[in-house]
Amino acid sequence: MEALTEKNTNQTPSKPPKNMSPWAIARRKFVRNKLAMTSSVFLLIVMIASFLAPYITTVDISRVNLGQMSLPPSSEHWLGTDKSGRDVFVRLLYGGRVSLLVGLACTFLIVVFGTIVGSIAGYFGGVVDSVLMRFTDFILNFPFLVFVIVLNAILFGHLSGVWVLIVVISVLGWGGVARLVRSKILSEKENEYILAAISIGCRPSKVIIKHLLPNVLSTIIVQATILFATMIVAESGLSYLGFGVPTEVPSWGNMLSTSRDPDVMQNMPWTWIPPAIVLTLTILSINFIGEGIKDALNPKSYR
Amino acid sequence: MNITINNENSMTAKTKSKKNLLEVKHLKTYYPVKGGFFRRTIGHVKAVDNVSFEIRKGETFGLVGESGCGKSTTGRTILRLLSPTEGQIIFDGNDITNLSGNKLREARKDFQMVFQDPYASLNPMQMVGDIIGEPIKNFYPGKQKKEIKEEVMDLIFRVGLPSDAYYKYAHEFSGGQRQRIGIARALALKPKLIVADEPVSALDVSVQSQVLNLLKELQDEFDLTYLFIAHDLSVVKHMSDRIGVMYLGNLIEVADKHSIYDEPLHPYTQALISAIPEPDPDRKKERIVLQGDVPSPSNPPSGCPFHTRCPMAKEACSEIKPKLKEVKPDHRVACILYD
Repeated sequence: MEALTEKNTNQTPSKPPKNMSPWAIARRKFVRNKLAMTSSVFLLIVMIASFLAPYITTVDISRVNLGQMSLPPSSEHWLGTDKSGRDVFVRLLYGGRVSLLVGLACTFLIVVFGTIVGSIAGYFGGVVDSVLMRFTDFILNFPFLVFVIVLNAILFGHLSGVWVLIVVISVLGWGGVARLVRSKILSEKENEYILAAISIGCRPSKVIIKHLLPNVLSTIIVQATILFATMIVAESGLSYLGFGVPTEVPSWGNMLSTSRDPDVMQNMPWTWIPPAIVLTLTILSINFIGEGIKDALNPKSYR
Repeated sequence: MNITINNENSMTAKTKSKKNLLEVKHLKTYYPVKGGFFRRTIGHVKAVDNVSFEIRKGETFGLVGESGCGKSTTGRTILRLLSPTEGQIIFDGNDITNLSGNKLREARKDFQMVFQDPYASLNPMQMVGDIIGEPIKNFYPGKQKKEIKEEVMDLIFRVGLPSDAYYKYAHEFSGGQRQRIGIARALALKPKLIVADEPVSALDVSVQSQVLNLLKELQDEFDLTYLFIAHDLSVVKHMSDRIGVMYLGNLIEVADKHSIYDEPLHPYTQALISAIPEPDPDRKKERIVLQGDVPSPSNPPSGCPFHTRCPMAKEACSEIKPKLKEVKPDHRVACILYD
């Protein structure tokens, strides 16, 4: 018996090919989802093109060129030029940079802050929960648009252009995520493996980070993709209204806002149709990806 | 067969002389019932109501009772996974009732739990090796990864899991194997006491005996003391040295297993024992059938908690709450009939 024990324990276990983590199973399901994969590829191209914009083109985006005002698309300017003589295609690339940056940064900040607040409130419960959740309700009660405009005005000059908007949206936007995470944690912590984690000596921080969050992460990821799309729309909407990123910075929203001019709207469709299409497609693909992740992480769906 | 019986008898004799590992004194665990506009506490569910018993070193103490009688709450309170409302828990000479924070965390090294539900008690996102190794990592942060892995492999082998289990996830195992993972996790810290909360009630009958036998083997090997919670009387008989019977949050009878099964004193215990299925169809047993339902623990009856269903209830039963008294050597019962 003893010899047997020795022999068996000294063998290092060889890694068998078939031990799929829940994440690996989800990844496989996602890869098989054609719509989600097509969307991912599209989004990836948009992202790469946007973030590599300075390397793709060397045109100065801020310079006004009066000699090339309002030109329709041609071989020199693929998508024409706008009223200030700036190349629309180049601005589209740089605009994607800003729009995607705002979307990603807001999503990141909102998810991180909302998850911290939500998981602490959900795990500890009681007074901690009441205080944090009342604070969350307080934030959720702010009229979003009014506060964005006011905070934008206050912060303007303290932070550089785009970051004002990012901070403002994030500060006002984390309430929903906090609530969602809290409710998920509340139901997840009833499982016996949480009691087991406490019993084997995990500190509360470890219980939350190692045991609770990985099991609610699927919900958070799905929520994050939806948020990403929402934040891009928010940026565009605010910029269109003139309260978003400063007008000299190109963003898809700012480009769209030129169509407020009836002349541009009617006679220069090449300046506002491309950003509208790219914006729509980007948001659509993000939503398809979110849908795909949701399906992939749902153990009950088989595709 | 003979050998095992002898073995059991000698065990019982041995444990009698031993010291108490755990003493529970007047333990009460109430769950508050909140209601009204400000969510004030408007009442209590008396899940555990004044329970006292002790567990001796090396023995298995069985806790039986129907569902909802407070067995699991008792077990969890003893492990301080719940906070007691009143009473004292003395573990190995130390009062652990009011420990908190890091001191409580340190104390947990010596008492572990095997959970009821093998599906909910393992983190689905962790590999089995990490699940079993985590308690070691928590308490010995300086330990080398290789050393921990060796210990985990030892445990995996010891509880009868395949050696490639280390890199697998819990969902790849059957219920019985998952329960073995849970047992290995509880063993990882070499605790003195293991509270097994209905460890086999979620398993197939054929697998139940394997897990029970594993628990018995491990008890001898690691010098363990068990608090074995179950509602299956034959399982408890197989496992325990001494048995406590609970009803509606109260401990109503405590004795060694032979006294409980051969001459139960409390009317409730008598009814329970008479309900054990008899495998021999020619032997007719008298079955005591209890009338009515278990009263709600948020509004327990006055006097003896069992008097509403007791076939031998007297008038005095509804007024006086009987205390647990030693009526025979090592046989305590809470019933007015034996006063």
